[in-house]
Amino acid sequence: MYAKRSTLTPTLIAIVGFLTVCPVAMLVIGSFSTNLGTLGGFTLEKYIQAYSDPELLDIIVNTLIFVVGSSFLATALALFLSYLNNRTDIPFKFMFRVISIIPMMIPHILFSVSWVLLLNPSNGIINLFLRQVLGMEGALNVYSLHGMILVEALLDLPIAYLIIAPAMASFDVALEESSRVCGGSSLRTLFRITLPVLRPAIMAAFILALVRSLASFAVPSVIGMPGRIYVLSTHIYRAVSTGFSADYGKAAALGMIVLASSITLIYLYRFMTREGEKYVTISSRGYRPTVIRLKGARYPLFAVVGLLSFILIVLPVLVLFYTSMVPYSMVPSAKAFSMMSWRHWIAVINDPISLLSLKNSVLLGVGGATLGIFLSIFVAYVIVKVRTKASGLLESLSFLSFSFPGIVIGVGFMWFFVQTPLYATIWALLIGYIATYLPYGVRPLASAFVQVHSHLEESSLVCGASRVQTMRRIVIPLLVPGIVSGWILMATMFVRELTLSVVLSRPGTEVLAVQILRFSEDGLWGRLSALGIIMIFISTGLVVLASWVGAIFKPIQEE
Amino acid sequence: MKKFVPFLLIMALSTTAWAGNPVAEEAKAEGKASFYANITAIEPIVEAFGEDTGVKGEYTRISTSKFLATVLTEFQAGKLMADVLQAPLPVMELLKEKGVLAPYRPAEADKYPEWASKDGVIQQFGIEYVGLIYNTELVKPEDAPKRYQDLADPKWKDRIVMANPASHATTISWLVGLKENVFESEAEWMDFVKGLAANRPMFVKSFGPTPAPIESGEKAIGISMPKYIITKAPAPLDWARLEQPLMGTPRGIAIAANAKHPNAAKLFMDYFLSQKSMNLLASKVGEYVLYPGVFPPIDGMDKAKVIPIRELSDEELAKWGAEFKRIFEMS
Repeated sequence: MYAKRSTLTPTLIAIVGFLTVCPVAMLVIGSFSTNLGTLGGFTLEKYIQAYSDPELLDIIVNTLIFVVGSSFLATALALFLSYLNNRTDIPFKFMFRVISIIPMMIPHILFSVSWVLLLNPSNGIINLFLRQVLGMEGALNVYSLHGMILVEALLDLPIAYLIIAPAMASFDVALEESSRVCGGSSLRTLFRITLPVLRPAIMAAFILALVRSLASFAVPSVIGMPGRIYVLSTHIYRAVSTGFSADYGKAAALGMIVLASSITLIYLYRFMTREGEKYVTISSRGYRPTVIRLKGARYPLFAVVGLLSFILIVLPVLVLFYTSMVPYSMVPSAKAFSMMSWRHWIAVINDPISLLSLKNSVLLGVGGATLGIFLSIFVAYVIVKVRTKASGLLESLSFLSFSFPGIVIGVGFMWFFVQTPLYATIWALLIGYIATYLPYGVRPLASAFVQVHSHLEESSLVCGASRVQTMRRIVIPLLVPGIVSGWILMATMFVRELTLSVVLSRPGTEVLAVQILRFSEDGLWGRLSALGIIMIFISTGLVVLASWVGAIFKPIQEE
Repeated sequence: MKKFVPFLLIMALSTTAWAGNPVAEEAKAEGKASFYANITAIEPIVEAFGEDTGVKGEYTRISTSKFLATVLTEFQAGKLMADVLQAPLPVMELLKEKGVLAPYRPAEADKYPEWASKDGVIQQFGIEYVGLIYNTELVKPEDAPKRYQDLADPKWKDRIVMANPASHATTISWLVGLKENVFESEAEWMDFVKGLAANRPMFVKSFGPTPAPIESGEKAIGISMPKYIITKAPAPLDWARLEQPLMGTPRGIAIAANAKHPNAAKLFMDYFLSQKSMNLLASKVGEYVLYPGVFPPIDGMDKAKVIPIRELSDEELAKWGAEFKRIFEMS
């Protein structure tokens, strides 16, 4: 058994390392090279320039507030929603699941623009409503750190939700019951038992959100820049956009600070969850998750959550739909409604490139997520169950390209793929996607693995089952919620992936997000929104498919 | 419609016999021409090229900030897939320096202004012209700026949108262009820049996001591109008719040095510079082109003076970007 593990870890390190180290290595070379992006003379000039900038300190402070604020909010919201959804008898559960995943399906740039239309201080729809209907003075300003934190938190909510929800679903209620029997109140039980036991999942969600918001560009550029609030990613953008011979080496030098922070966070996480046994909730004995009855609080709570979801998620999607129907960006009015038509939808549906990109994106979403999850199962297994130095290395490797700022990592992949025959093919996109977004598969699975006690595997092995059989019959079924979450995260991510696609896609391998970016560069918000909604439908289809397949393989979860 | 009749006539007459050309026969055998461009929405030209010549045009769109990185990466790996390249002139000059481009001067080039083809490699065919665009529902034509100086008037406070002058290369070049081409003295220009800064314009990433806040009425006016009046119709947009010239970065086109389809490349460049293509570019995309007599169908644009601005080196851009950042942040 241990012999197998010892070959598994190096094999995985080789595969994951190959996928993620190559582009990052190209960026490291670029950051030390005098040439633009290729091997040239050695120089430290790019680092000196990047880090001697007196503005950098302010930018780092802004970045810290932005990423910590948004990750905290995203995790708290995810915890709240997944608790209600998985542990209580709140009505219309399925709706919450869909709502908390929707932001994952919307291109971030579109979601940010929707919020600008809702909350800009001049004529944002919510502000107009507050002023004209409620007679309030002043305005809410989305172009602020608060605005950035709110929108980024909503965008990262699905990541946090999909990591926490599986852990919540497989929570062993006996622990809570013991607390109550010993006289603990519900609240005390929540804070002393429930949350501490869920700590690995909560920390994983928080850290993944931190890493993601560090690399995020849509919110800082669409909301931060008009408010003149700069964070690291917009600072890096400035480095590549000022001037025509964009130096991605310098951008990579700046990106190293993001990379270093992310790797530190991952080690910190590993340190904080080092006593894995503490968090095991599915052991061999009497495991059954039960539902907490909300009784009188059922409908009031539902109303609160419903309103929250409406304002935070449904409204921006409605704005998208509205934008896709009006001829140009306009504030809702009688005139706007009289000018509504399907013209943008017709233009999108008749556009051969949009159709081709639709096909490619669905293919990449389904194929990429399936392959990605397959790899993630093994990686998560080693990370959680084989806690050696090598498995720590594997965990860091899986985050390597993920934690690089998006504008830069795409170029790293281009520098790498151009050396291979895969350049300009759809395979380059597939490999790039899996390599970059591996944590989306690994994290939910790792937090699911944490809760499965090794007694279960050992019992199976003792009874004469092979390791493959044990994996298939015992471990995988217990992991189904994690697999479903990971697959959903990966598939919806791949369907709307932009940062790699924009650099790697070529005629014939166009994907949806690239088409969306083109519309946005031309300022064609109507078509952009129409295509965005089509994207949401496709992703919803994939989510339903995943949940349905998950339900078939999940007998143990049913009551 | 009146405007359209002569246009259609020209279209009909200009369907020249591309097939008679000896290059065209070779090009047909090569099959296709791959075109890398930063200019947007040129599908109609690429399609017309295919129909008229029987050679397939393949359009890869690459944004300005990734253009050089992408082309040089491919070129240095010996995998440049482009036969023809189009980008802002400063980018084309850098590509020429690196040996990516080959000399070629199409016959059509004679019809363009002399300054548009200095070196026999890069042919300039248009100007990415910048103008002051306003919302006609919020601003009356008589209240629109008459001179650039008017934009510094406090009446525009909090009502302006522009691309970030700290980082957007074209906007930086444009502001410096004003100093060199429009204003009488550097002091007068600096007053204008400071006045503009004092009006606290809202910054966006590039020109792409500038029209949306103007058309929705979030802002009243912007430093943007007149072509949006065409591409965003029927949005309530118009351009301020200034007594001073409009300015912009020239757009250049050239063929690749080791093009995989060398004859198709030449044929494509010939076709691109023809009156028919330039008509499409002006009428469908609202571009300002250098072909004599061809104008975008924007009222008054045929009488406007549009001049190219000097190419700024990256050092100058970085220097001015930092300077503008300082000035605009002070206010």
